[in-house]
This record gives sequence, structure tokens and C-alpha cells, in this order.
Amino acid sequence: MAEVNLLQPAEPFLDTAGEDLRRRIFITADASGADLCLRPEFTIPVCLRHIAHGNARARYAYEGTVFRQRRDEPAEFRQAGIEDLGETDRAAADARAIADCLDALARLGVAGATMTLGDQAVFEAALAALDLPAPWRRRMARAFGDLGRLKGEVARLSGEAPEPAAGDPQIARLVAARDEAGLAALVGRRMAEDGVLSAGGRTPGEIARRAIEQATLAAVRLDAAHRAALEAFLGLEAPLARAADALADCARAHGLGIGSAIAAFAARARAIPLQHASAIRYRAAFGRSLEYYTGVVFEVVQAGAGKPVAGGGRYDRLLGLLGARSEIPAVGFSIWLDRAEAAR
Amino acid sequence: MMLTLALPSKGRLRDACLQRFAAAGMPVESSADPRAYRGAIPALPGVEVAFLSAGEIARELAAGNFALGVTGEDLARESVADADKAFAFLARLGFGRADVVIAVPQSWIDVGSMADLDDVAADFRHRHGRRLRIATKYWQLTQHFLAGHGIAVYRIVESLGATEGAPATGAADLIVDITTTGSTLAANRLKVLPDGVILRSEAVLIRSRAAAVSPDGEAAIRRLVAALAGVARE
Repeated sequence: MAEVNLLQPAEPFLDTAGEDLRRRIFITADASGADLCLRPEFTIPVCLRHIAHGNARARYAYEGTVFRQRRDEPAEFRQAGIEDLGETDRAAADARAIADCLDALARLGVAGATMTLGDQAVFEAALAALDLPAPWRRRMARAFGDLGRLKGEVARLSGEAPEPAAGDPQIARLVAARDEAGLAALVGRRMAEDGVLSAGGRTPGEIARRAIEQATLAAVRLDAAHRAALEAFLGLEAPLARAADALADCARAHGLGIGSAIAAFAARARAIPLQHASAIRYRAAFGRSLEYYTGVVFEVVQAGAGKPVAGGGRYDRLLGLLGARSEIPAVGFSIWLDRAEAAR
Repeated sequence: MMLTLALPSKGRLRDACLQRFAAAGMPVESSADPRAYRGAIPALPGVEVAFLSAGEIARELAAGNFALGVTGEDLARESVADADKAFAFLARLGFGRADVVIAVPQSWIDVGSMADLDDVAADFRHRHGRRLRIATKYWQLTQHFLAGHGIAVYRIVESLGATEGAPATGAADLIVDITTTGSTLAANRLKVLPDGVILRSEAVLIRSRAAAVSPDGEAAIRRLVAALAGVARE
């Protein structure tokens, strides 16, 4: 069992999840003005400890009180979960996390629950296979899990090309000539003339590069075939046992070369014990919009209930964000014990 | 039970407010001692007036300490997480107009929309080893607005004055601030994103949902709202 202090530095939580988390946790400050918070979850403290101890591979279990500002639910409640850090056999680690999660719920007496499973890696593979420009791919990968936003992006990119804004003629000329160095020099010169020390923290070079990239993209549209492929993919839904075949069918129908992503998906699906697989449904559009999720994501909801009793996923990017020198594979899940008890 | 109406105690907001009430046939009489910060509306017996700073008015109404108040919509919406739950917005008063906007350095020639800002924010840590920083005193409004555009990865730097100078000095990368003519922003080499207008604010008459009001008080509120609505907005 991992020991995690109730009072935590707030910085790692805000830095990884974003400023939006601030209104959902309880923040206070010490005498020096440093932000502290009441433990809002266990994953980040467990990961920080793993990094500090320089551990290679370890599985951590935790159970305890956490504090979140929630609508219609008490702010103080208990969570339990497991984090599996450093295991390079991702399919096996994913399957174990999923099986442990469903086992734990069964032991808690939660019956008739369904797990919805999505996979960020499969979606990103589909985007890469469509050969979309990198900035579009990044934008869509960020919107993964938010179907409304994703459909908005698809519609926007398939629509009429926007009129290029009639701006500064000097800038327009350099952009039209795709003269990145000249544009960077111009931006730098104007900043100097204005007596501005910094353009926020951005450099003239990165501004110029992005301006030219955007101008190039403005002329590119998502064609009908690409759009149909994306929409077919996002509409995909199947029981886990049939999900890999459904993905393969979709890939074949739309000419998507995502064979290796499907193979990894199938390997994981095979590693999940049969008695659990029947409770799992794959939804291609299902995801969690946090930038550190990289692979499988899942949520367990009891029939008729709105809020999940458990959730988890693969977050290979998190330990890097928290300061680990090399990428550490990570997968885990967390159970809302209060909801699990109510669901009994 | 007396119904208390909180009005701004200082500056242009106070003057405009008193003019507006007078024009509506509801002149406010201040108490003889200007330090007392009290007043009355003879046309509305049973209503007493308290003069407070505009920021305090929103907080006091949210706490239910006063039933009615006039303050900037920006301050009302910034003072609590869910302003529509805390207050009923009874009337827009047509003065104290200002926009709460997202403004970025003019040198960001590649950023002309919130979608561009989303790209820059998502990429920022990877490029610079830290999150994009936004200087503002409007925490709530900023968080709500950016969340609505799917932007989560940024940090707020609290700023209680001269916010518009923060990007040029490197204290922040962009700002969320209030502007009326845009000239202060322009002087600081900032530009407003066309779809980055968070709120078109003006003075509003608001009512606390937490304060109890007697039937007489309810009648007085109805009369006041009708009187203010009767004056054509400029």
C-alpha cells in the first residue's frame, strides 16, 4: 500500500491537469505563499514517489480519503485503486488493470456494471493513417473523448476554406513567399521597435513558423473520403470480443493502414479473462480529454446510474510531465468507493 | 423589515448610477454625513441604500447580506462560481459599459482566434518547459470561458493592477482584462481575439437569491424594476 500525505503541493496537480482543476479541488497556502491542496487523488502523488525513489517497476495499491468540489455529492469521499508503473508489456499490464478493476468491483458487491473502453492510440493511428497534416492531427487528438468538439473540428476542416485575413501587407508578402526567416526577423524587429521585451514567452521564430504553417493549411481541406473514414471510425461500437474484427472491417472499408494498432488492441483484448470481457464494450469515440492519456481508457457505470463507479487508463506521458527523465509506461484505475457502496 | 439596496460608493459608477435612478423617478438621497455611506429613496419607502465598493456589492449579495444591488456584470459574474444561481439579474442599466476580453501580443501574427490560442497553449509546455501564463484578476470568467473552448492547459497569474503590461515584461504571455476603447491594450501592443470577448459587461441591478424579502419588499422591487425599465436606455 502506498502512503500518501493528505496535504499535497498543488503545483503538480495544476500543472498536469490544467488551471481548470483549481475550482474542483481545495487549495490553501502555507506561510511562504506556496499553494497546498487537500489530496484530490492518488495517481500523481504515487507517480511522484515512484520517480523520487528511482524505482524501475512497481505496482502500488492505495485506499483513502480524497477531497473534490463536486456537484450534488459530498466533497470528502474515499477512493481505492492500483497504479502499475514501469511494466513494458503494455498489453499484459492493461489487461491486468482492467481485470483487477472489475474483480475489485465484484468484491465490493457492485453487480451488473458495464465497462466502456476506448483507445487513444487506435484513434491517433487512424489520424496518422489518414495522412492528415500534423497540426490537424494534434488538434483532433486533443479533442478525443469530446465527440461534439471532434465533430466540430471535422466539419470545420471539411468546410469552405476561410478567406485569408487581409492584414499587414509586409507580413502577407513574407507569408505568401513562405519566407520563415524573413518573417521571424520582421516580428523580432517590430518587437524591438515597440520596446517590448518579450512576446509573452514565445520567440519570433516559433511565431513565424506557425504563421506559415497555418497559411499552408488554410488551403487544405478534409476531403469527402477522409471525412467518411473518420466518421465511420468514430461511430464504431462493439462488444470487446468483436471489437478487433470490427476495427479491421472499418480499416479495410476505408483503406486505413492501422494494422499494428489493431494488433496491439487485439493482444490486449485476448489477455483479458473471458468472464470480464463480456462486461466490456468498445466505443471508438470514447476517451478522456487529459493530455497524458496515451492508450486504453475505461470507465465503469452501473446499469441505470449516471456517474462512473470506476475509471482508469494508460497514461505513459504523465511521469514525463512530472519530471521523470525517461518515459515510464503507466496504467491504473481508481474506484469511487462512495458510489460503489451506494450501488450495492 | 427594511430592504437594503447596495449602490457603488465611488467614482463614475456611483455618479452614473445616481443619475440613472433620478431619471427613473427614483432619486437617491444620501445621508447628510457623507462618511455614513447610507441613503434612502423617498419614492420607495421601506428601502434603505448602502454605499459600498462595487466589488464588495457582489460578494455581500452572494452572502445574502443585502437583497438588492447595482454593480458591474463583470464583478457579479466574477465573484461567485455560478452567478445565475447566486443572483437574479433584474435589469441592465446601460452605463459602466466595458468588455472582458482575451488579449494577446500583437507580435503573435499567427494567432487570430481561440482555436489558434488552443494550439499555442497545447504546444507551450513542450516548447518552453512551462505552461502558458495568463495574467488576470478575472479567475472565474477566464476558467469558464477557456473551458468552453476546450482549453485547460494554462496557468493563471493573479494580477491586481496594470495587467496590460504583463506580456511585455514577461510576467505572463497574454491577459484577460477589461477594456472600453481598446486604447490601453493597443498602447501595450496587445490585440483582442475576435472570438475572445468573454463578456460585454455593463452595470446591472441584481438581486440576491440568498436574502429573504418581505411581501412589501417584493412590491418595492417590482416598482423599482418597472421604473428603471421605463427609462429608455441610451
